[in-house]
Amino acid sequence: MFAQQCPLSISGSVKDMSTGISISNAHVFVKEASLKDVTDSLGLFTIDAVCEGKYHLAISHIGCESQEFYLTISGDTSITVFLDHHGQLLNEVALLDQGENPSTQESHSLHSDHMAKYSNKNLATMLEDISGVRTLKNGSGIAKPVVHGLYGNRLTILNNGIAQGGQQWGADHSPEIDPLLANKITVVKGVGALEYMGNSLGSVVLIEPKKIGKEPHLHGEGRYFFESNGLGNGLHLALRQSNKMLAWQAVGTLKKNGDKRSADYFLRNTGNEEAHLALQMEKSWNKKWLSRLYFSSFNANFGVLRGAHIGNTTDLKAALERDVPFYTKDKFSYSIGSPYQKVNHHLLKLHTKYTRGDKELFDISYAHQINLRKEFDVRRSGRSDMPAMSLRQVSSFFEAKYRRVLSHHWSFKSGVQLNRVDNSNLPETGILPLIPNYLAYEYGAFGMATKLIRKTTLQLGGRYDFEQRKVATITKTAPREIVRYDKAYQAMSAMGGVKHVFNKAWKMSYNLGFATRNPEVNELYSNGLHQGVSGIEEGDPELNKEVSLKHTWSLKGDIKGKLFFEGLFYFQNIDDYIFINPQDEVRLTIRGAFPVFKYEQTDARLLGFDVTATYQASERMYFKGSYSYLDGYDRRNKMPLVYMPSNHFKGSFNYQIPSLGKFYNVEFQVNSRYVFKQKNVLLSQDFVAPPEGYQLLGLKMSAERQLRKLRLTTFIRAENLGNVKYRDYLNRQRYFADDLGFNLIAGMNINF
Amino acid sequence: MKSNKPFILFGLFSLFFVACKKDDPKAPVIPNEEEVITTLNFTLTPVGGGTPVEFKFKDLDGDGGNPPEISVGKLDTNTQYTGSVELLNELETPADDITIEVREEAEEHQFFFQSTASGLSVAYDDLDADGKPIGLTTTITTQGASTGTLTITLKHEPVKDASGVSMGDITNAGGETDIEVTFDVGIE
Repeated sequence: MFAQQCPLSISGSVKDMSTGISISNAHVFVKEASLKDVTDSLGLFTIDAVCEGKYHLAISHIGCESQEFYLTISGDTSITVFLDHHGQLLNEVALLDQGENPSTQESHSLHSDHMAKYSNKNLATMLEDISGVRTLKNGSGIAKPVVHGLYGNRLTILNNGIAQGGQQWGADHSPEIDPLLANKITVVKGVGALEYMGNSLGSVVLIEPKKIGKEPHLHGEGRYFFESNGLGNGLHLALRQSNKMLAWQAVGTLKKNGDKRSADYFLRNTGNEEAHLALQMEKSWNKKWLSRLYFSSFNANFGVLRGAHIGNTTDLKAALERDVPFYTKDKFSYSIGSPYQKVNHHLLKLHTKYTRGDKELFDISYAHQINLRKEFDVRRSGRSDMPAMSLRQVSSFFEAKYRRVLSHHWSFKSGVQLNRVDNSNLPETGILPLIPNYLAYEYGAFGMATKLIRKTTLQLGGRYDFEQRKVATITKTAPREIVRYDKAYQAMSAMGGVKHVFNKAWKMSYNLGFATRNPEVNELYSNGLHQGVSGIEEGDPELNKEVSLKHTWSLKGDIKGKLFFEGLFYFQNIDDYIFINPQDEVRLTIRGAFPVFKYEQTDARLLGFDVTATYQASERMYFKGSYSYLDGYDRRNKMPLVYMPSNHFKGSFNYQIPSLGKFYNVEFQVNSRYVFKQKNVLLSQDFVAPPEGYQLLGLKMSAERQLRKLRLTTFIRAENLGNVKYRDYLNRQRYFADDLGFNLIAGMNINF
Repeated sequence: MKSNKPFILFGLFSLFFVACKKDDPKAPVIPNEEEVITTLNFTLTPVGGGTPVEFKFKDLDGDGGNPPEISVGKLDTNTQYTGSVELLNELETPADDITIEVREEAEEHQFFFQSTASGLSVAYDDLDADGKPIGLTTTITTQGASTGTLTITLKHEPVKDASGVSMGDITNAGGETDIEVTFDVGIE
C-alpha cells in the first residue's frame, strides 16, 4: 500500500572527486524517511518507496569526507555524488587539481572527519600523522610543528589565510590555534611560501575553517572525548545555518585535563585548560560579490612541569642525574600553579571576493590579531602571581589578491600585502624583558604564473618583502637606559616547479625554491636568563639574513591498484643559518654559574626524505608504512646541526567493515611507531646525550551509526599500549622527566 | 563596466599604513626589579670581641658579561665566630634590603654552607616557625691552619625534612637555587 503512495525513487552513483572512479560500499541515507542503500561494485545505488517531499541525503564512506545535501523529490531522481577520498592512502589535497588552484607543490591534508577521532590532540600533535612532520615539545601540552627540520621562525602557520602573529619564535610557545575549529589542515611541504607573508623558508601549515554550506536548516556537530592520561575531558559544538539573508556558523571547544602521567609517575603541574570560540558570517551580495566575517578566540592555561623549573648549572646537573624529577607527588591533581603559561589570541578577519566572469577573481582581506602571552614562574615573596614575562602583540594586516585564468591553459595570481606589528612588554613583571618592544611595518608583493601543457604543469613565481623595524631595548648595565634601533630589511623569494602526470598511476613533481629570511627580534635582541634551560641567551644585532635554496622532488605511484607508493626527497642549503650555540663560557652570577648561548650564523644543509607505502591486501584490509629520514649538517664548522628530528618509522594494519549489524564504516587499526635515537649530534652540543630510541604501540577502533537524522560516530584509541618508559629528543622536558605513559581515549561525535 | 572598487579599497588601506609610519614603539617601562639580589655580605664577628671578617660578593649587571666583585677576609685559627648573612639589591639607591624578605618567608628558604677547608665547621643558629634552620645566623668554628673554598647556597622551597637537610647537607634539599657564591677561604 505504501509503495503506491510513495512511488518515487532516488538513484545514482557515487564517485571519487579527484579521479572520477566509482566508489563501492558507500552508504546513502535518506534521513527523514529512514531509508538507505549501499553502493554496489559499480558505485550505483537505488532507494525505492520514497514519498514526495524534501529530504536530507547523507553519503558516507570510510576514507572519504562525508557529504550531506538537501533535495526536493517530486519525481524519480537521479544524482551523482562526488566524495573527497582521502583516508586510505595518500591524503592528497585539492591543491593539486588542474583547476582553480593549480600547484606543483607537495602537500598533505587532514580532514575534519579524521581529526574528529583525534579530538584530544593539539595542533602540533594532530599533524604528527603526516609523514615528515614532527613536534618540538615542552611537555605534551605545549608543542610546535616541525616540518623537514624547520620550525618557529622558519615555518609559516596560516589561520584562515592569515599568518599567525605572536611570539612564534619561542621553542616553548605553542601556535595559538584550536585544530577542532578547522575543516581541513594542510601542510605544504616544499617551497610554497610565496603567496603568504611571513618568514618561512618553504613549508607552510594552512588551517581552513569549516565551511558553512548552503543548508537552510540548523546543522552542526557535537563532540565529546575522555582521555585517561590526565583524566581529560573535551567538549566541542558547532552550529551552522544558511538562509537567503546570511549564512552563519558558531563553533566552540572546551578542554581540561590534570597532571599527565609518565610510565611510572605523575608529571606534577602538567594540567591544561582551554576555551575557544569562532564565529563566522557569510553574505552573498549577488552572483559576483561575497563577503565573510570571521572571528576566533583562543584562550588557554598550560601548566609546565614543576620539576623542570630549576636554578643554575648545579641544579641542572642534580636534575639531570635524577630518575624521577623533584617535586613529584603520588597524588593526581587538576590544579595548575607556577610555572605556567597563560595565552590568549583573538583574530578578526574581513574578506570580500569579487568574481568577474569565471576567469577572474579579486580577493581583499583585512585582519586584526591580538596576542597576549603571560608566563608565570616560581618567585619569591608572593610574586608567583605576577607574570615573569608579559607580552602583547597587535597585528593589523591587509591583503589584495588577483587571480586570472587565461587561454591556452595559463593562469596567473598576484597580490600585495601590508602588515603592522606592535609588540610591547606589559609593565607588570618587575623583570627586565627577554625580548624588547618593537614596531614593524611590512610590505610585500608576489606574482605567480602557471601553465598546463598537456600532462605537465609548470609554475614560476617571485616575491619581494620590505620591512621597517623600530626597536626599543633596555640595557643590561646599570643605570638602565633605553637604546633604540631603526632598521630596514629586504627579502626576496622565487620558485619554479614542474609536475608531470605520466598516466593514471604515476605522477612526479620537482620544485626549486629560493628564499631569504630576515633575522627575527629574538635572534637579534634577546638578552637574559631563559629559565626553561637555565641558560643565558644573547642575541646579536648584527646578524645577516638567511639565504636558502631548497630542492623538492616527489614521485607517486599506483601499482595495479594494490600497492600505492609516495616518496618525497628534499635537499636544502641555508647560508647564514641562525641558531643558538652553546658557548665555552660559563657566566658567574650571584645565582651561581650559567651556560651562555649566543645566536650565531653558520652554513647549514638539510637533506631528507619521506616515504609512504600502502598495500591493499584485500577489499577490507590494508597495511601502511612510512619512514622519514633527515640529516642536518653544519657545513662551515663541519659538524651536525643540533635539535634535528631523528629518523622515524610508522606502520599500521587496518581492517574495514562497511556494514556490521546496525553499524557502518567500522574501522580497526593496530599501529606502531619507532623513533630512532638521534645519533647525528655531538655530546658537546647538549647537556646530556640524546635519549635511546623507542617504540610505541597503539590501537584504534571506530564505528558509525545513523539514527534518523543523526550520524553518530564512536571511537576508542589507545596510545603507548605497553606503557613504555621513554624520552623524546625533541621534548625539552626530557632533561627532567620521562614522556607519557599509557593513554586511553574514548569519544563520541554527533552530526546533525 | 569594469569595477574599480577593489583598487579603490586597496588604495585607501595603503594610505592608512603609510600615514601611520611616523610612530615609534612604546617606550618600555624600565621595571622596578624588586626581586634582584646583587650583593651577599657574609660577616663573621669573633665571639668575645674583635674585628669582623667580611666576605663580599657583588654582581651589579646580573646576567650581563661584567665579572662580579668578590672580596674575602682572613680567618684566625681556633676561633669561634658568629656569622651573619646580608642580602642587598644595590641597583636601588638606597640599597634595598632583601634579607627581610627571606626572613619573612623563612619556611621557604635555607642557606647551606659547604667548605673544602679542613679546619672549618658551620652550625645553624636560627630557626623558622617549623623549628627548621634558616642560616641567616650561624656559628663558625675554626681549628688548625688550612685553605680551601666556602660555598654559600640559598635554596628557595627546599625540602627541609629530607634526610640530612636540617644538618646542613644539601644533597637531598631540592628546591631552586637563588644564590650560589664561592669564596676562597684561608685560616691562619
